Amino acid sequence: MSIKKELLEILACPKCKGDIHTDDAENWLICDACRLKYEIRDGIPIMLIEEAVSVDPT
Amino acid sequence: MSTPAAPIPARLVISVFLNEKLLIETVAEDLARSFGSMDLVSAWLDFDYTDYYAAEFGAPLFRRVFSFVRPVDQGRLADIKHTTNAIEARFAANGRRRVNIDPGYLTMERFVLATGKNFAHRIYLAEGIYADLTLLYQHNDFTPLPWTYPDYAGRKMTAFLSMVRKRYIRTLEKTGALRS
Repeated sequence: MSIKKELLEILACPKCKGDIHTDDAENWLICDACRLKYEIRDGIPIMLIEEAVSVDPT
Repeated sequence: MSTPAAPIPARLVISVFLNEKLLIETVAEDLARSFGSMDLVSAWLDFDYTDYYAAEFGAPLFRRVFSFVRPVDQGRLADIKHTTNAIEARFAANGRRRVNIDPGYLTMERFVLATGKNFAHRIYLAEGIYADLTLLYQHNDFTPLPWTYPDYAGRKMTAFLSMVRKRYIRTLEKTGALRS
């Protein structure tokens, strides 16, 4: 099982508890509902709301 | 003679199951108020291994698991269980619980749940609470024991806990707690 599939099966957005998906490069986990992305650092998702980044351009 | 020493802090992991999915947000807020921020939240995990709880909670049941940033003293597990029991009670209606909250802690070597029910393999802690050695970390994975509940032995649960363990180790490395 790849880490990508495993991540998506077992993790939820810590803010809205909704579904997440990875970006194409599999460096981020993205919550479309919250418009936030969470970094995957060394294979470990950093799912802290305060460290999440907006997916919208500033 | 071994020299008594305080164990390194553990990672608090709390599992919640319920029938009414909409309640989870409020339960999570209550847990965060008591135990601080969460850094990993599991997807919904099916809880369909038993119908033991159906009469009290309804059916079907769904489980989510939360991992908390703040390290916990392993000796506080009984206190933590009483806190989560109080949160369960706040959500109860008509004499029935609507949420079931199972706190536990994760260390490098094991995953331990708190329970109020005695059994042969459970060790008494304090205040009417026992420790259930639920999973051992062996051969690069969490492995069940003969008494492990099937939902904790399932692949999604052990994969989630393995991810929690990675974050836990990273935290220990950052704080220097792994140095002997």
